[in-house]
Amino acid sequence: MPRVAAIVLTAVAVAAGAWFLLSPADSGAAVRARLQALADMVNRSTVDGLGPDARSVQLGAFFAEDVDVDLGRGAAPIHGRDTVIGMAERLQPRTAAFQVKFADVGIAMAPSGATADVHLTAEFLRRNITTGEQTLDAREFTIGMRRVGGEWQIARVTAVDTLEK
Amino acid sequence: MSVIRRFVFGENPRRTVVRVLVLAAISFITFRWVLIPIRTEGGSMLPTYAPDKLHFVNRLAYGASGPVRGDVVAIQMAGPHVVYVKRIVGLPGERVAVEGGQVQINGTALPEPYVHNRRSWELEEVTLGAREYFVIGDNRSISDFGRTPASKILGKVVF
Repeated sequence: MPRVAAIVLTAVAVAAGAWFLLSPADSGAAVRARLQALADMVNRSTVDGLGPDARSVQLGAFFAEDVDVDLGRGAAPIHGRDTVIGMAERLQPRTAAFQVKFADVGIAMAPSGATADVHLTAEFLRRNITTGEQTLDAREFTIGMRRVGGEWQIARVTAVDTLEK
Repeated sequence: MSVIRRFVFGENPRRTVVRVLVLAAISFITFRWVLIPIRTEGGSMLPTYAPDKLHFVNRLAYGASGPVRGDVVAIQMAGPHVVYVKRIVGLPGERVAVEGGQVQINGTALPEPYVHNRRSWELEEVTLGAREYFVIGDNRSISDFGRTPASKILGKVVF
């Protein structure tokens, strides 16, 4: 019996290795890395001591100039990189204990390779500065990304209501 | 040294290693694809499920038949790693409304002994689609609610 189990385990290990080595490379790796860089930048922003102007430049690089953001639930649509950056700057004092994390990132690349549709869950962890209490929020988003000058930028953000009303 | 080795690996080290590997493989498969561990956040399912507690979702619970009313289910967002935990109150094809905080199914009040912090709110009647369920959290003072397609139900929260 142990011999049979060993053979089965070896076969599974060989199959897993073959799958790992032979599966096609992740065509959305660059998009994924870009989104991770955005999350890292937001999370780092509370501790790196960068000023608002430097932060704006950093943040602006992630968004297309004509970016559209629709947060749904009665929120007014946001248009343009400058508006997004302005809102982020106004939020800055309140984001001192704010972390963002992207989960379940699904990427559909356009055949041209110039645009990509992303579907993900964003987790927002907020820590109350006074009480230290943490709250976790999560929302589903679809994000349209576009490659501009070799760099991926966010062109559209739409919040998705997981539970339809 | 041999005593320690015997204590760790047993009388037959090769067999012990195989057993450990088999157990690891079974655990990996079980907790990745069958019984998914989740940690609850927030109090939308109070008092049934308290925040910051570990629970498990049985992904095979609805293999043969769909969810039934009263089941607590995990509803995936973009994927299975972040889920809503809600209770099913409306089944496919039913008419669901909320009048004064009381859920009405096809015009009849639904008995809900599990409800916590019932508050007065209204929801205009909606008719669920053929593969659609209506879900709400037990803590009605803060819980989100709405319709979800069967395809987004990850499984049944079992314990």
